[in-house]
Amino acid sequence: MRPDTWPMFADPAIWGFFFEGVRETIYISLVSVALSFVVGLAFALGRLSRKPWIRWPSILYIEGVRALPVLLLIVYFGIKGSALFRPIFGPDFDLPRFWAGVLGLSMYTSAVLAEIIRAGIVSLPRGQTEAARALGLSHAHTMRSVILPQALRLMVPAMMSQLTTVIKDTSLVGTIGVFELLKQGRTIYTQFFNPIEVLLIVLTIYFIICFALSQASRRLELGRAPREARVKMRDIELRDQAA
Amino acid sequence: MPGGIIFEFPELFLTGLWLTIQISVLGLIGAIVLGTLVALARVSPIVPLRWIGGAYVEFFRNTPLIVQLFFLFLGLGSLGFRFSSDTFESIFRAAATGMALYHGAYVAEVVRGGLLGVDRGQIEAARSLGLSYLQMVQYVQLPQTFRSVIPPLGNIAIALVKNTSLASTIGVAELLYAAEIVESRTFRAEEAFIAATMLFLLLTIPLGILVNALERRLLVVR
Repeated sequence: MRPDTWPMFADPAIWGFFFEGVRETIYISLVSVALSFVVGLAFALGRLSRKPWIRWPSILYIEGVRALPVLLLIVYFGIKGSALFRPIFGPDFDLPRFWAGVLGLSMYTSAVLAEIIRAGIVSLPRGQTEAARALGLSHAHTMRSVILPQALRLMVPAMMSQLTTVIKDTSLVGTIGVFELLKQGRTIYTQFFNPIEVLLIVLTIYFIICFALSQASRRLELGRAPREARVKMRDIELRDQAA
Repeated sequence: MPGGIIFEFPELFLTGLWLTIQISVLGLIGAIVLGTLVALARVSPIVPLRWIGGAYVEFFRNTPLIVQLFFLFLGLGSLGFRFSSDTFESIFRAAATGMALYHGAYVAEVVRGGLLGVDRGQIEAARSLGLSYLQMVQYVQLPQTFRSVIPPLGNIAIALVKNTSLASTIGVAELLYAAEIVESRTFRAEEAFIAATMLFLLLTIPLGILVNALERRLLVVR
């Protein structure tokens, strides 16, 4: 840590540069979580379906994706000139970096959210479904009006802690060229040769965001999830926190 | 055949697989040792130790592993600190240390939960029988913790194997890096990454099955 490398941080332009990174990080996390929630909900319901041709592909997707490193998924979607989207978007299509990052993050997060949502659904007493069905509600209507509102409410803290994980994971999309916080930091220190100062600042910024979020999710107690669901939540948290 | 590219570059992929396994094993051992020590610090009667343990856990859990790795390798490197005089050794050790530090924080939380799960009456009984605090920890608290921490430790091990892929970003030639080398030689990116995917699944799926089996067994007994 050389004394002459600190004065540069008095320059507001440098902080503007960091701020752009933070904005990109938050933006990509929110888009990914929103997308993952929709996809995750579909797979959670798919895995609980009674029809085997819906259930088995859902299980395969969830367990397969959860067994992979999120960085691998991001790098895979980030392949330049990938043939993956050619059939849909034409031969000259090149996936924008931002969306490659979102797809990689979302594919992983959707599998995790599917498990979180499923844990919430199965933790509700069976009597809830039986009562709703006895009252003449259809299966879909029971899910929509009785089961999901309660299950999702129960899982809000778990989903918030998953948001913390997603924010940490966004640091990986810099490897495919998205200018999030870490990538911005790397750009600065390759210019000024001061990795330790820049990385300390980057670590601090991540810490402030993630610590605030994880504290908030810990405080948030929307009804107590049953023991089995809590064990499941802990397992998901341990297995699927990456990066 | 998907993954056929593995047989065109067997030495690259196998070295990658072997490095992934090495970093995972070293990282896991380090994380368990470190995590257990930190957990003991967090439940100890000495307040500053508790405070340091808590700070360690919160810091490492709330910052991205990749930034920690960069800091360990580039940051400390810029201060002149190297893990070894040999560059390859140095990167490898930095990666293993990073894995141990990051996952140690998760291990610490799990072990702390186990330690706190031991009935207070037993602790008081052991102390009143004349065991010192450390003896009580060694003979009463720790042995009872093992059963309850094994399934969660298995889950951490799975996360660790997956997270070794981040070591590629500081230049360890593990699986993902091997795929990147193959990509740059052949321009067959999709095939190379599908091969890496298959090799990762080869490690994580059996581990996942093992952890689930352990979980079921240990939960039934409890």
